[in-house]
Amino acid sequence: MNRASKTLAALGAAALLLGVSACGGGSTNAEAESPASASSDKKLTIAFVMGAVGDPFFKAMKVGAEEAAREENVNLEWQGSDTEYSPQTQIPFVDAVLAKKIDGLVLIPTDPDALQPSVAKAKSLNIPVITVDTTVNDRTDVSAFITGDNEDGGAKAADALAAAMKYADGKTYKVAVGSSSATTTTGIGRMKGFESQIAAKYPGIKIVDKAYSQSKPEVANTNVNNWLTKYPDLAGIFAIDGTNATGAASALQAKNLVGKVALIGYDAYKENVDLLKQGIFTAMIAQDPAQEAKLAIKAMVSQIKTGKTGIESEVVIPNVTMTQENLGETEKYTYVE
Amino acid sequence: MDQTALLFLVLVAMVVVFTVINPIFFSSAVFANILQDWGPIVLMATAQTLVIVSGGIDLSVGAALGLSGVVSALAMRELTASGQSAWSAMLLGVLVAGAVGLAVGLVNGVLINRVKLVPFIATLCTMGAALGLSLVLTGGTPVAGGPAGSIQFSSKTYLGMFTVPIIVVTVIVVAAGLYLHKTRFGRWTYAIGSNQFAARGAGINVESHLYKIYALSGLLSGLAGMFVYLRLGSGSASSGVGQELSAIAAAVIGGTSLLGGVGRLAGTVIGAFIITGVLSGLIIIGVQANWQRVVIAALIAVAVGAQGLSNESLRAK
Repeated sequence: MNRASKTLAALGAAALLLGVSACGGGSTNAEAESPASASSDKKLTIAFVMGAVGDPFFKAMKVGAEEAAREENVNLEWQGSDTEYSPQTQIPFVDAVLAKKIDGLVLIPTDPDALQPSVAKAKSLNIPVITVDTTVNDRTDVSAFITGDNEDGGAKAADALAAAMKYADGKTYKVAVGSSSATTTTGIGRMKGFESQIAAKYPGIKIVDKAYSQSKPEVANTNVNNWLTKYPDLAGIFAIDGTNATGAASALQAKNLVGKVALIGYDAYKENVDLLKQGIFTAMIAQDPAQEAKLAIKAMVSQIKTGKTGIESEVVIPNVTMTQENLGETEKYTYVE
Repeated sequence: MDQTALLFLVLVAMVVVFTVINPIFFSSAVFANILQDWGPIVLMATAQTLVIVSGGIDLSVGAALGLSGVVSALAMRELTASGQSAWSAMLLGVLVAGAVGLAVGLVNGVLINRVKLVPFIATLCTMGAALGLSLVLTGGTPVAGGPAGSIQFSSKTYLGMFTVPIIVVTVIVVAAGLYLHKTRFGRWTYAIGSNQFAARGAGINVESHLYKIYALSGLLSGLAGMFVYLRLGSGSASSGVGQELSAIAAAVIGGTSLLGGVGRLAGTVIGAFIITGVLSGLIIIGVQANWQRVVIAALIAVAVGAQGLSNESLRAK
């Protein structure tokens, strides 16, 4: 601890000198004389390469990242594909920021294998890497991994569903799960958490069907329509992502089953929160992307300055269960548009 | 044996198999579910049939569906926010969706006629552009907040399975069938698809005709976008993605030749029923989700193959 703070002080002093000489006439006396505050350090540049600029989940993340960047006085390079969440579109952005002079890379790998070489490349350039939300398979070169826990979210969804169906031991409850595809890692984690929580705590809940939407709301809608026909006594639905939520919500409305079939959604997109307010969603699992990003920036600054992130190698930001009752305190988790 | 009749037998066999495995399949509730999928697919497959018969292909129908759904959702949200009634918002939605689809179709026409791109490339470009625009407009999230009660309105069934949008779609498809099979427009379409040069030689204005065909294809896809909007109560950029392939498959199953000049809309309609019926059927009989695609692919091969065989037996006679 002591050594760390000494190193920090030394670095700060060095940065101060550099800053003054680099800025020359441009920097005022007041700035130069201010104590080793963040504003007089050599300004660090941290690149944050995420999944898709347009997605409100990442917009919420950006709010947290910018806030932390202001507090820590670092340049934030927010980069990523406009709308497409895929390694093909992400890797060029990672290559581009690594070609510039950056001090640290915060990365949301869109694929655990495909982004592994990018992490190795950063390592070879002595640029520390912190992963957020998802990570790469081999974390040797990753300083820290900060995530919302999908398995925990799935387990919380099982709890919320059980509560919504007024679960009592000895009775049987048929539920179905709508997922987006067999290969989406977040969906797999949520499903795993959901299933193991049911196995552990709710023996009366039977998962009668699972179906994939292929990321299309109309396909999700077809799946739910057919479940409702096939299982007239269906008690609950876990819509694992936004697409499934849209499809399930419209199916329940069309068949006048709102309130009769419990619907648990995931991710606090604004339109989901609206559906929760209308009572179409019974409950919703929200992540806290702003918190993830904030912590990532702070840990990265610490890593660059001290060689230590100051946090565990893996930090899990807990999920929040939003319901109509607790909306007063949980509405702030709604992702910004 | 008549191709369309043969195809109808395939459909009947499919219904019988599903019903034997799970009797719930033979119910108005399941047929209502299937019709909800059939609506947009048959609109796009009708569009596709016109285009393919003329010797082209339209890969942009799915993206046109998505874009028109999104733009009309934005328009309806504005109108609803300004306090207009749900009816006027929905009417505006239909007009906007149709106009957006029409615009996509006209761009295809320009690319094919003026820029001289082959239809595959021209419509591949508009497909990408339309999908990109939908994503730019929405940021990837669905656009809700339109007229209240649109889901209830569009899902209220008559005779247990027919909704207002389904009735409208049926009327449109019948009209398109008459247009293709009973008018000069239709005869010219077949002529161009059989031999464009001969058609030109016979004095047909091929360019002007192709404008009409691609515009019509876009218009039908735009209306499919409105259909999906009414069903979901929101417009989403991801709606329709990849559905051009289902539409092409429905037309091809229905006996439309990708070489042009051959095809009947009745076959396409049945093809669309086969494609959408199998999806619901596999869920009802409980085929695991990952296997469903495999089964659908096999079924397409069987349906098309059966027709090829019957063609050969005709020729042998």
